[in-house]
Amino acid sequence: MRKTTAMLLSAALVTSALWGSALPAFAEEGDITLDVIICQYGPNTNEWFLGSGMDGTNFVDKFEAENPGIKLNLDVVSWNDVYTEVDTRIANNNAPDILNIDVFANYANEGLLLPVSDYCPEELYNDFFPSFIEQSVIDDTVWAVPDLASARALFYNVDMFEEVGIEVPTTWAELEDACQAILDYYEGEVYPWGIDMTTDEGQAAFAYYTWGNGGGFVDADGNWAVNSAENAEAINFALGLIEKGYTNPNPATQTRYDLQDMFAAGKLAMVIAPNQLPTYVADKGGEINMATANIPANEGKSSSSVGVMDRVMAFKDDAAPDQAARNEAIGKFLTFFYNPENYVGWVSMEGFLPAVNSAVEALVASDPSFEAWLDVLGGCQFYPTAKAEWDQVKQGVIAAEQNALTGADIQAELDALQEQLAG
Amino acid sequence: MKKSNGEKWWGPYLWLLPSILLISIFVVFPILIVFRLSFSEISKAGVVGGFVGFKNYIDAVNLPAFATVMKNTFWWVISVVGLSTLLGFIIAMVMNQKFRGRKIARSILIFPWATSLVIQASVWNYIIKYEYGSLNSVLLNLGIIKEAVNWRSSYQIEFIWECAVGIFVTIPFVTFCILSGLQSIDESLYESARVDGAGFWSRLFHITLPLVRPSLSVSTVLNIIYVFNSFPIIYTMTKGAPANKTDTMITYLYMLNFYDRKKGPANALSVIGFLILCLCSGIYMITVMRKEEEA
Repeated sequence: MRKTTAMLLSAALVTSALWGSALPAFAEEGDITLDVIICQYGPNTNEWFLGSGMDGTNFVDKFEAENPGIKLNLDVVSWNDVYTEVDTRIANNNAPDILNIDVFANYANEGLLLPVSDYCPEELYNDFFPSFIEQSVIDDTVWAVPDLASARALFYNVDMFEEVGIEVPTTWAELEDACQAILDYYEGEVYPWGIDMTTDEGQAAFAYYTWGNGGGFVDADGNWAVNSAENAEAINFALGLIEKGYTNPNPATQTRYDLQDMFAAGKLAMVIAPNQLPTYVADKGGEINMATANIPANEGKSSSSVGVMDRVMAFKDDAAPDQAARNEAIGKFLTFFYNPENYVGWVSMEGFLPAVNSAVEALVASDPSFEAWLDVLGGCQFYPTAKAEWDQVKQGVIAAEQNALTGADIQAELDALQEQLAG
Repeated sequence: MKKSNGEKWWGPYLWLLPSILLISIFVVFPILIVFRLSFSEISKAGVVGGFVGFKNYIDAVNLPAFATVMKNTFWWVISVVGLSTLLGFIIAMVMNQKFRGRKIARSILIFPWATSLVIQASVWNYIIKYEYGSLNSVLLNLGIIKEAVNWRSSYQIEFIWECAVGIFVTIPFVTFCILSGLQSIDESLYESARVDGAGFWSRLFHITLPLVRPSLSVSTVLNIIYVFNSFPIIYTMTKGAPANKTDTMITYLYMLNFYDRKKGPANALSVIGFLILCLCSGIYMITVMRKEEEA
């Protein structure tokens, strides 16, 4: 008898453990629960949303206190895992209500997203920078709103430049001269220039050089043009820098973070990095006297900064009993998030640039360097993430660069990619 | 129906039920899902569509990197399993000797296995770093090299490093498997052999190897499965770069699924990998068991 009871108990335990994990979070009847996924931008993200990083409280508690009837089931997920998590949830018909991520085109093209006009209050919508909103438009419909941005610029070690006695390069020819001077002066102890052609950010390298040579991912009509002569020339220029020994030795595996570490350690003289680099260097204990400049471009071509923007989007949920109430709840979430009282703290905490006008004044007041970066942001180009083939192009240009690093002809590689896109 | 000792016939099944339930939910069910997905159309966003026959398999095999990845996987498994088994065997023989500090040596040996693979791979990344890696620092300080060496100067060398790290972290597992086999060998067999004039090699081939074969079989089969499915070392050290030239099947299908978003071919590759593993393990087990029966 005792044995049978033990067996039944063990079976019951396993069953309850399995079912227990599937039980939904406790919510009162009539409440709307929004599943939210937020990407982890840094060590503070989790604290701000779920811990006590928001003046002793957190985003979820504060939101729920101010918006009775709406519960948040919010997860902060690392960038490494977020695609896996979202894909798995979509495959299981369990997409989040609100998602913060960088890409949106695949979700929009497959009819999974709600148009922004369905849930975003007009006042808030008009607060977004129009140039940012334009990046999330497919077929004249806005499918996501920007949550924050960062801009890339050339950072250089001022002390090294003074020691060597050179000016900041603005053209590719000047860049080569500066690299040679640094190489000679430090006898190879310092890398003059940093290149990241890794699987993580090889597309950024593609953008830095091709945009500085009048090329890019798309032509003037917005059609894919990855194999243009300008692009091949630009990547060949970058490969030439590597060949001449001006750069870090392993660009296929040394990520931007490796380069930033080298810059912080005084091992690298110039690096293209986002506006958060000074904070990053300070966190690493580095004391580098640094300044920013435009990314060098080819002679006669204009320099272009690279803007990176992440987004917030809302998924459809046909099973929701009251669609209007759900849309309204999503709108309230956004209004609360972008309220300067909350949003300014969020953006400045992670060192990003804002996506709404209402936050600018407070951010500039707290850190005057923001103003210069906002100017940079105003003139930068973005990746064509609204195009459905972006994933393929992004991985394709990275593979082309990496193949070229091992001796392949870049023009042939880009031609093959362009052919795939046409097919 | 009751058994003669009073236990009910369904007793064992009830005890097994929790395990069967867990294995069904967490092993069998996911495998079946992957099989189904490999024959389905899957969108970039992950929405599962209709049946597409073998299209995903054809697409997977026709991918430009497929041949390179298969070749890498072959060398990865052969080198890591082969060399870790050989070295593990030698270390197990040493550990089986009586010497002062044997317990400490055995404890130290388990460290690489007890540490997370991501940590191991990251540590090795720092060791062989050109800029401020400890290998260069040590060799420079000892005066063995005059200037820092780029230990990762080509993707072939990077792949060799990955295999070396794979071997390093696998040795403890093999050693302990074989050590357990060695400890079960009766010492009197060696004594008799010595009396009969058998030398070291004779004792090794006629006593040690035949008697340790069951442990060796288990460790080799498990090793083939672990190493084939190993993800962290390659992902942490190179992420398959440049252009999938250091990818193995597992890291490649991950990149295919979550970076390239070619989910159908990624699932097909996953099934191909599963079948290859079943085949290799099956052939190995049958061969070894047949030899054991013959013996």
